[in-house]
Amino acid sequence: MRILLVEDEAKVASFIRRALEEESYAVDVCADGMQGLAFAREAKEGCYDLIILDLMLPGLPGLEILKVLRKEQITAPVLILTARSQVDQKVKGLDAGADDYLTKPFAIEELLARVRVLLRRGSGEAAGVLQVEDLILNPATRDVTRGGRRIELTSKEYALLEYLMRNVGRVLTRPMIAEHVWNLDFDTFTNVIDVYVNYLRNKIDRGWDRKLIHTVRGTGYVLKAQ
Amino acid sequence: MNSQDEIHAAPRGIALKVRLTLWYGIALGVILAIFAGTLYMVLARGLKDQVDRSLEEAATVAVKALEERRVGPYVRFDDLVDEFPELAVLDKFFQIFSPTGTITIQSPNIRRRDIPLSRTALGAALAGRAVFESARFPQEPPIRLLSVPIQYEGTLTHILQIGTSLREVEEMLHHLLFTLLVIGPLALAVALGGGWFLAGRALRPVEAITEAARRIAAGDLTQRLSASQSSDEIGRLAGTFNEMIARLEGSFRQIQRFSADASHELRTPLTVMKGETELALRRPRSAEDYRLVLESSLEEIDRMTRIIDDLLFLSRADLGEIRMERRPVRLDVLVEDIQRQAAVLGQEQGIEVLITLVQPATVLGDELRLRELVLNLVENAVKYSGPGGRVEMALEEEESVARLTVTDHGIGIPAEAQSRIFDRFYRTDDARAHDPKGTGLGLAICKWIAEVHQGRIEVHSELGKGSRFTLILPLAVPAG
Repeated sequence: MRILLVEDEAKVASFIRRALEEESYAVDVCADGMQGLAFAREAKEGCYDLIILDLMLPGLPGLEILKVLRKEQITAPVLILTARSQVDQKVKGLDAGADDYLTKPFAIEELLARVRVLLRRGSGEAAGVLQVEDLILNPATRDVTRGGRRIELTSKEYALLEYLMRNVGRVLTRPMIAEHVWNLDFDTFTNVIDVYVNYLRNKIDRGWDRKLIHTVRGTGYVLKAQ
Repeated sequence: MNSQDEIHAAPRGIALKVRLTLWYGIALGVILAIFAGTLYMVLARGLKDQVDRSLEEAATVAVKALEERRVGPYVRFDDLVDEFPELAVLDKFFQIFSPTGTITIQSPNIRRRDIPLSRTALGAALAGRAVFESARFPQEPPIRLLSVPIQYEGTLTHILQIGTSLREVEEMLHHLLFTLLVIGPLALAVALGGGWFLAGRALRPVEAITEAARRIAAGDLTQRLSASQSSDEIGRLAGTFNEMIARLEGSFRQIQRFSADASHELRTPLTVMKGETELALRRPRSAEDYRLVLESSLEEIDRMTRIIDDLLFLSRADLGEIRMERRPVRLDVLVEDIQRQAAVLGQEQGIEVLITLVQPATVLGDELRLRELVLNLVENAVKYSGPGGRVEMALEEEESVARLTVTDHGIGIPAEAQSRIFDRFYRTDDARAHDPKGTGLGLAICKWIAEVHQGRIEVHSELGKGSRFTLILPLAVPAG
């Protein structure tokens, strides 16, 4: 899951990024409104699964960024983050197309919970749990089980699996996976993705008759029930 | 809640409309009463005078006749009337008394047989004077009597008494009194009604103002009175009221923006501290990680302390609670002092702070505050200069003012921001990026100190080329 964080306070941006990265999200940070808008709109469709937007920004206010994004049909969920707590400010933000609103100072756990909710909304998942056949992933606890058996995953493996499960049945190309799961450029990375998919297969599909992770030759991977 | 109570308490006591009407009614009532009383008295007096005059006329004629003809003591009335037809007047009766006061002749139209001659009348007759008297007998209208002495060659021969009933006069006066008592209150009632209506009309715009004021008190400062543009008292009141609300709205907005800014500035360090601390506590970390969090928290605590100190200073300044000395301050000494201080500060960042020109100048004021002001300007200049930059200070004396300039060759201030940099919490994006620790209140404080010293601060700046701040203060003793 790739998140764009537009926040000018360096220290605030820094701890939010660290917190998100600890949850295995890929994070890009912009400290300036214009740059933030450029990132959000120039990136390919669906590049960011979530945008966290501060309202008071140098260059371009967060609300303006939001309006431009919505006008241009960029539908990634937006979480507004601001020190302004007046109701009319919240209303303005939500009316401009924001999906959620968090007032500074906020609790890290609440921010992470809201991030999970917004990401869940995009995938149409109901109870906060992702499930494909007997494979269950709980983003809140980061527990993964198959057939009731707990599966231990590393942070990257978990991120990769979550991305695959949020896009059940959809073929994900290697560049897409690189963008949403890793923070690095795709070119130097193809191998690493294959390696990680292999790790994941070993933990998820080995010993089961019904395989869930499938290779689409020449394109990428897809997770689906047979 | 409180203000609501006060507003609703306003109609307590008697409403202005009622009071106006009441005053109007009382004044009118008094005038009416005086008018009616006077009218009654004048009329009563006039009517009585008229009665007296007619009695007098009749008496004059009768006395003349009786004196000329020398009427003897025993005369028959009919003979008398035959001789003096003037005496046979219907509405009057007469009696003739002997000098001792016994009745000798009575006109037949007298109703009572016993209207004796009073002692006063007898005394007056003996003294040769005529006298008017009023008499009242039970169950009868009052009567008016005129007693006239009739003399023959200096001796009193008869006393003639002519009388008439005052019934008509009494009736007329009663009638008048009745009319006044009925018409007066009626007129008063009509006038009160009219007064009530007029007071209501005159006060209707006041009601409108009250209504608007109530809405405004409820928090809607965008309300304005739509009173007509007339230039009467109410129109002027409405105009003044609107101006006042506009000013109120302006300062309310300013306060709103200020408190929003203040809360934003205070929330940011709190957000950092809360976020970093919570993040650190989510799982076990290395000692180094904890140390970094604590260091960062300390920075934020310092930042908050600075903001709160500055805010307290400004709010005390707003309330006029800051005490200011007014002593001669040698600005040239101050400038040299600060240059030494700032030079050390600048050295760490490779910035040179130097004095290009200093002329002796003395101003009246508070040395500590002025030092704070100049130091703040110089610190800003150092802050926004790039490494290897140069900050120049100069002090010139010019007619009656001292001009202290602080010039840097740093990032400069965008033209559109130059008028706002003295606003509380206003910081340009560049300034924010350049100095995240700043409070955004320093220049507001500088401006306040300059203004308290009857001075001002001017700014000339070009984006990317640098800024020059000029502090202009009146000299203690003008040069010359």
